[in-house]
Amino acid sequence: MKLKVLPPTLRKNNRYLTLDIKTTSPITKDELVNMIWDACIRFQGEAITSNFNLWVMKFYEIEKTEDYIRYKSIVRCQRDFTENVRSSLALTYKYSGNVVSLTTIGMSGTIKASQKYI
Amino acid sequence: MFFDLNVKGSSLENNVKLAKQASEYGWDHINFSYNQNDFKNALNLRDDLKDSLKDIISFDYTLEIKSTNINEIRKAVNKFRNNALCISVVGGDLKVNRAVLENVKIDVLSRPYLKRYDSGINHILAKEALNNNVAIELCFEDILKSYLAPRAKIISNFRDIYTLYRKFDFPLILSSRAESIFGIKTTQDFVSVFKQTGLSDEEISKSFMTSRNILEFNRDRKDLIFRGVRRVNDEA
Repeated sequence: MKLKVLPPTLRKNNRYLTLDIKTTSPITKDELVNMIWDACIRFQGEAITSNFNLWVMKFYEIEKTEDYIRYKSIVRCQRDFTENVRSSLALTYKYSGNVVSLTTIGMSGTIKASQKYI
Repeated sequence: MFFDLNVKGSSLENNVKLAKQASEYGWDHINFSYNQNDFKNALNLRDDLKDSLKDIISFDYTLEIKSTNINEIRKAVNKFRNNALCISVVGGDLKVNRAVLENVKIDVLSRPYLKRYDSGINHILAKEALNNNVAIELCFEDILKSYLAPRAKIISNFRDIYTLYRKFDFPLILSSRAESIFGIKTTQDFVSVFKQTGLSDEEISKSFMTSRNILEFNRDRKDLIFRGVRRVNDEA
C-alpha cells in the first residue's frame, strides 16, 4: 500500500540547482549521482548530508569539445542547505581518475523554472 | 565586482579559454599570473590578448615570484615593479613570509601556509602586513585539489588566518589560482565555499574590494610621492 501524500505544510521545501558539469571522459547519470553524494559526504560529513534531501532530477549532454564533455543537470536539495550543497559540489575535482568540474549556474524553486538555465 | 588576481597564465589560446569561461561564470576582472622567468614573454602577448578579449572581460598581469632566496625576491621586485600591476610572492617559508610582509613594494603574499603544518602567519607578521599594506592571499585551488586530511588542514590554516584577520584587519584577498577551465567556478560557488570555511558575506566582499584597490593603487603608483600624496594632472 502506498503512503498517503503529506499535506503541503508538512512537506519539505526544495530548491533545484542547475549544474554545469565538465568532464574529460563520458559519464552516466548514475555516475553523477555517486559523484554528488561522494562530494557532499566528503566535505560536509554524513550527519549534515542527511539533511540535504538530494535527488538528480534531469541530466543532459550539452556539447563535446577537444578538452571536455559538457553536461547540465538539475539536482534537488532542501531549501536551507543550498549553500552547503553548492560548496560541496564546487570542491569536486576528480572522479575515478578523471578530472571533473561541477559548478552551480542557477537555482530555482521549481523544475520548470530551472529549465531556463539549461 | 568580482576580481580574481591569480589565474595561472600560459599560452594565448589557453588564456583566452580561461578568460571566456571566467566571464561566463560571472567574473568581472582576472589577472593572469606568470613567474619571473615567463613574465617578459607574457608581456608580448598582451596586445593579442587584448584584441581577443575585447568586450568580454578585463584582464591584467600578476608577477608571481617563487623563490626561497630573499635577495632574489628583492631583485625581481625592483626589476618588474614598473611593469607589473600586481606583484605577489609565494609564501610558505617563514623567512620569505616575513621579508615579503616587510616590503612595501610587494602587493601580495600568496599562500603563507603552503607546505606547512601551521598558517605561516602570527600576530607580528599580521601587524607587518597591515603596516606595509601587503595583502595575504588564500587560494581556492588549494582546497579544490586536496582531499581528506590535507584539505582539512588547509581549511584549518585558513581559519587561523581569519582569526588574525578579524583582530588586525590586514588586507586579505581570495583568488582561484585556476590552471584550466576545470578550476574556474561561478562566483556564487566561490563565495559559498569561503562562507563554509568561516568567512562572512561582508568579509568576502571586502576581499574583492581589496583586490580592486591593489590594482587601482598600482595604476597611480608612478604619480605617488609618498603614501597618501599623489601628483595629479588637473591644472584647473
